[in-house]
Amino acid sequence: MTTETQIDNYLTALRLHLGPLTIAEREEIIREITAHIRDSAEESGASIEAVLARLGPAEELAKQYREGLLIRQASRSLSPLVLLRATLRLATKGLSGIVVFFLAIFGYLMGGGLVLTGLLKPIFPANTGVWFNGDQLVSSGTLFPAPAPPAHEILGIWYIPIALMLGSLTLLLTTFLIRRSLRISQQLQSKL
Amino acid sequence: MAIQRALPAEGNQPDRWEAQLRKGAVEMAALASLWQGRLYGLEIIRFLESQSQLALAEGTIYPILNRLKAEGLLTSEWVEAEAGHPRKYYSLTNAGRQRLRQMAEAWVSFSGGLSRLLEPVLEPQEKTQ
Repeated sequence: MTTETQIDNYLTALRLHLGPLTIAEREEIIREITAHIRDSAEESGASIEAVLARLGPAEELAKQYREGLLIRQASRSLSPLVLLRATLRLATKGLSGIVVFFLAIFGYLMGGGLVLTGLLKPIFPANTGVWFNGDQLVSSGTLFPAPAPPAHEILGIWYIPIALMLGSLTLLLTTFLIRRSLRISQQLQSKL
Repeated sequence: MAIQRALPAEGNQPDRWEAQLRKGAVEMAALASLWQGRLYGLEIIRFLESQSQLALAEGTIYPILNRLKAEGLLTSEWVEAEAGHPRKYYSLTNAGRQRLRQMAEAWVSFSGGLSRLLEPVLEPQEKTQ
């Protein structure tokens, strides 16, 4: 294998594992690592194998880049999966991180649950709703079996828009709260 | 090593403990290497090797520089060099200088306290028997 092929192979592997980053970020990293490989080989007269070995496996290097950028990128994301992964990372950093993590899970479950029952109402109209007995809340959601009389359902078809709206609002608020916490944690990190 | 004996909980993984310790210090060391002026990645690595015992897998430093830059503590610029390819030079931002000063102060008071704590541990073994 020629020197150039070895370098190319390393950079190809690095580029591949840097997947989630933006193209601009990725190419800047590739450019910097290329410069490092050339300078390091020239300076020490070492073989490319030795230079690449000191740099560590491309996969490992890419992983370190990705971890450093995870929280920063997540604070701009809307995806529950990305956000939850970042809050999980935050939870390893301290008590307030753990609180944010559990609030995030609670918010997603609550909001998702409301939206889901709103969608289930047309399919199971008798089993979905909010039940009261006198002025006491008995239960709400999609229930099998539905609460027995004297408990009665009070919203009827209105359950659909109300559940969908409350659910979406909860999901939005949760997303907002997580992104806000991720930003604050970044600012704290660079201030401390 | 005496420090490892002082931490029996990590006793079976002394190398891992030391690796964690180094990792925590690298960020500060990378910032400190730029105190006098701009350097590119390989210069930072060589500087850390010569000034401290922070020998690392060379790849470790680049993701850290990347993150410090994302946090606004460093800026970078590409500079054409005689070598035929440009090099990415890093320098401290004002926020970076401030942060480094705070880190240095915290480090000095922390390590001073710990050194006093560890003095008896490092005394010759015969005394403790």
